[in-house]
Amino acid sequence: MLFATLEHILTHISFSTISIVITIHLITLLVRELRGLRDSSEKGMIATFFSITGFLVSRWVSSGHFPLSNLYESLIFLSWTLYILHTIPKIQNSKNDLSTITTPSTILTQGFATSGLLTEMHQSTILVPALQSQWLMMHVSMMLLSYATLLCGSLLSAALLIIRFRNSFDFFSLKKNVFLKTFFFSEIEYLYAKRSALKNTSFPVFPNYYKYQLTERLDSWSYRVISLGFTLLTVGILCGAVWANEAWGSYWNWDPKETWAFITWTIFAIYLHSRTNPNWKGTNSALVASIGFLIIWICYFGINLLGIGLHSYGSFTLPSK
Amino acid sequence: MPSPTSCLLLNPSKPSSFRRLSAPAPHLHARRFHVSCDAPRGSGRSGGGRREAIPTGASKAKKQIVFFDAAPPVSQEGGAAVEKAGGEKPTTKVGSGNAALALVRRATKRTLAVLSNLPLAISEMFAIAALMALGTVIDQGEAPSYYFEKFPEDNPVFGFITWRWILTPGFDHMFSSPVFLGLLALLATSLMACTYTTQLPMVKVARRWSFTHSGERIRKQEFADSLPRASIQDLGVILMGAGYEVFTKGPSLYAFKGLAGRYAPIGVHLAMLFIMAGATLSATGSFKGSVDVPQGLNFVIGDVMKPRGVSLLHRMFSILKSMSTGSTWSTMTVERSMLARDLQSIVLYDQEGKFVGVRRPSSKLPIEINGNEILIEDAIGSTGLDLKTDPGVPIVYAGFGALMLTTCISYLSHSQIWALQDGSTVVVGGKTNRAKLEFSEEMNRLLDKVPELISADENVLNTKSTAT
Repeated sequence: MLFATLEHILTHISFSTISIVITIHLITLLVRELRGLRDSSEKGMIATFFSITGFLVSRWVSSGHFPLSNLYESLIFLSWTLYILHTIPKIQNSKNDLSTITTPSTILTQGFATSGLLTEMHQSTILVPALQSQWLMMHVSMMLLSYATLLCGSLLSAALLIIRFRNSFDFFSLKKNVFLKTFFFSEIEYLYAKRSALKNTSFPVFPNYYKYQLTERLDSWSYRVISLGFTLLTVGILCGAVWANEAWGSYWNWDPKETWAFITWTIFAIYLHSRTNPNWKGTNSALVASIGFLIIWICYFGINLLGIGLHSYGSFTLPSK
Repeated sequence: MPSPTSCLLLNPSKPSSFRRLSAPAPHLHARRFHVSCDAPRGSGRSGGGRREAIPTGASKAKKQIVFFDAAPPVSQEGGAAVEKAGGEKPTTKVGSGNAALALVRRATKRTLAVLSNLPLAISEMFAIAALMALGTVIDQGEAPSYYFEKFPEDNPVFGFITWRWILTPGFDHMFSSPVFLGLLALLATSLMACTYTTQLPMVKVARRWSFTHSGERIRKQEFADSLPRASIQDLGVILMGAGYEVFTKGPSLYAFKGLAGRYAPIGVHLAMLFIMAGATLSATGSFKGSVDVPQGLNFVIGDVMKPRGVSLLHRMFSILKSMSTGSTWSTMTVERSMLARDLQSIVLYDQEGKFVGVRRPSSKLPIEINGNEILIEDAIGSTGLDLKTDPGVPIVYAGFGALMLTTCISYLSHSQIWALQDGSTVVVGGKTNRAKLEFSEEMNRLLDKVPELISADENVLNTKSTAT
């Protein structure tokens, strides 16, 4: 009971802090970039991180197993991972556009996890016998780490596509553009880059130079992030295969979840290969990565929604049923 | 401080120019002029077949330095391979006597070029991904009648998909269908061709260090900078401190880091081939079966074993065990279904799935379902034994291990730096294959550390003479 209350409080703290962080982002977007506000959003992210970590730890202590046994826990873990991704480049002190992706992603995953859809999962339960293995920690955490990383990377690629084809998007559909403007913060980053650069420089500015620079940066970052995610995905899938050989008697069963993980792997392998061709680098590879974004969601979520196959632990039923 | 291994001053007999005199002229030509820029399509082409250039050391007096551009990544080969396949190429080496052999060789080369073509490999991967997705969408392993019913001919799904579309290519068992397996095999051959024609030659090229005496070439690198009043020796020491392998010769310097990151993709491909080979072995040589034995009876292993040396494998589990841990056991027939959470009580449902009642085996009370009287006499546990042998597992596991390791190493980037002492100025250029942003940041940081010399010219000369 104590743990349940603690978890409840922690999720609410993290969710409200992250909401405040998002609001700060929006304010800085609409008004002006204020130094103090930016710092406070960083502090907010740290507070969120600690409360999510606290939540996971208390889950672990109270249930006695690694807190990754159902969709709710995995979503919380996902947002935790997104925070880790948010922090790693900060430690190296390199400026990057990752935070523009990670912050909204964290709030979306958290928001979904705490929404009413999954209420019956909020209580931790006894682990089903098939999951009682050390491999759970290795396989599932690796998979979720890789999902988070790949999601970030493919969102960066999607942002690249949008920035590059912004004008055609305008032409294409005004509504869509408004939607994208609201949700893709990198767009905003681009505006910033342009604005601050205009302020700081005195020599003639080529209109497309900053756009070019930004897309180059996005491209490079998405490549780095996706390669990291691909490595993690490989390790995760292979750990799963070894576990499957122990638990189900065969290392590969063509179970839907497995198959979709393999499809994800293939798509990002295509991305990495398409990058080696200088003609395809940039737009084409970004397109592949954006497809990969959808594929990850099918793999992570769509298969669970259907609840088919051997990986049905993470599945959930909608309240109407 | 410079250790003998890391700061190597080459003696003049060491080949600094990698011209192969015996090579056929056109290829030499192609290789020589594509040196510094990113994407030499032509050099990629020449590399496709014969990058086996061996430094002969015969041309040490040459002033023209050929530094090999780090082996071009897969795609350039791929892109170029098309052209190669299209264009005629004179085969110079083959004698007139064995024209047939020449023909065979040319044919193999072309096949290799086509197979190692990157767009082909990518489309294969896309096709495989699409088929796998299709395999999860279509229900697998049902009886043909199921597909007749679900994809009727008179009312096709999406207007055209009938059962013929599914049953003819064998998509009802996608993952063992000839189309899918054929594509996998094609991908495997592509992998092999790519490894052979592109990646293995890359090893030979990337292993060598190469100097350049042309400041122009250095300035053309992705990252380039020039340091006025600096000494190349200082730069070498600083680079060494940052983990680079540094080589200097006269006024020029070459440094690299993370060569493993260049080699690892080869390992990835080999590991994939290993896994594929192991999986093939599993598919052909493995055996699986299970015996189900009700309580009080004996196992008849012979029921599942075929007479070919099958070793009994470790997995043995019982339904009873799974019952005790909370899952349920049930049987279903057309008229009724039964559900036993434990052996004490059995829940009965009728045809529509409506709950009828609960009976204990000991109660001897009959229950009526859809007009039939059912009497639960006894419930006995039943246990099973799964037998499995899979000779492919060790190979597949070896492949798994290698794949994990090599993909991790692949994340490292291979950085190369060239520098040239040009009077009192040091021209520095470098490039890397993966972490481009981090590389330029790192370079800026390192170059900031290079001390500025006050009386430049003398100092440079002094350090140069003493550092040997």
